[in-house]
Amino acid sequence: MKRYDCLRAIAPHFGDELVVTNLGAVRHEWQALRPHHGNYHLQNLGLTSSMALGLALALPQRKVVAFDGDGSLLLNLGSLATIANQNPRNLIHVVFDNECYESSRGAPTATAGRADLAAVAAGCGFANVVTSKTLAEFEQGFLRALSSNDLYFILAKIEAGAADVPAAALDSQENKYRFVRYIERSENLEILTSTLSRASEPRGK
Amino acid sequence: MKREVAAEIVDSLKEAGVDFVATLTEANLHDLVMALGEDKEIHHVPVTREEEGIGICAGAYLGGKRPAMVMMNAGFLLSTNALATVCIHPGIPVLMLIGHSGGIGEENAGHATVGALTEPVLQAMHIVYEKVGRLEDIRSTVRDSQILARSSRRPTAIVLNQQALR
Repeated sequence: MKRYDCLRAIAPHFGDELVVTNLGAVRHEWQALRPHHGNYHLQNLGLTSSMALGLALALPQRKVVAFDGDGSLLLNLGSLATIANQNPRNLIHVVFDNECYESSRGAPTATAGRADLAAVAAGCGFANVVTSKTLAEFEQGFLRALSSNDLYFILAKIEAGAADVPAAALDSQENKYRFVRYIERSENLEILTSTLSRASEPRGK
Repeated sequence: MKREVAAEIVDSLKEAGVDFVATLTEANLHDLVMALGEDKEIHHVPVTREEEGIGICAGAYLGGKRPAMVMMNAGFLLSTNALATVCIHPGIPVLMLIGHSGGIGEENAGHATVGALTEPVLQAMHIVYEKVGRLEDIRSTVRDSQILARSSRRPTAIVLNQQALR
């Protein structure tokens, strides 16, 4: 199975879930399938899981989904221990494991060898760990996680290869402002402080 | 760090509106980390590596929290790429409290290089910082550093020197 097939299978089930995407083709694929102000496209390799943890802890009433990759998670394995200990019941950590650094011309990652990220997650204390090797297994596992009120780790063993989709036309600042304004509106929060206006003050005061 | 200094920092963070703190401990930060863990008004996330904490704080900010990160300067140096890509590039603030090992008063020769690199790296990253040692300077510095972080939407730092740490 390919990552795009996995994303296409689950996209129709999304409502107001917040999504953090990893660096690489996944951001373009997801934005093409589910264009939404609740998508945050992280421009960093490694911190997808941590960013999603921070969001999930800040907004426990919202479901947060991380679309991570094997190369990224291998940079930040310790985050699995932190996430399991914090145990946010609204977080689904999906890892698309293509066993290579796909966006960097495809050299193998450690999961092409002996490393098993699902075993690492279980060892770090995740109670719900799913390894999926077929599209049906992935869809079933993800939908179970989506309808549950529990922390999930879902490993999707995929073939390398990106879908032919248009590039997500969002730069980082634009993405941040849209995402934050969406959170402010939907959660009735004030996140971006506004500069005080002195225009109404009398002169010489 | 003396318990009264740790208590002053926790109190100052709360007064500045900080409600979420990621930490990576060290001998000099122990009392502060333990005090943060016990505080009911602050969500405390102990992390395994400092750059992880920067990512967690950035996510918490996007979700409406007012985050801070407590770490030593070795951890700050480790976090430079995370700060550049996750915070500075999109414009996300995080208040950092950085214990300055290897600064004046340092007795451990092994910390001297990290100590000497800390301020030049902060400056190279255009991160505004204040150095603090005296108990009476903590409250206003925490307040003002947090005001700048939020208004500028950039990370700011408070560098805690040996006077504050010992």
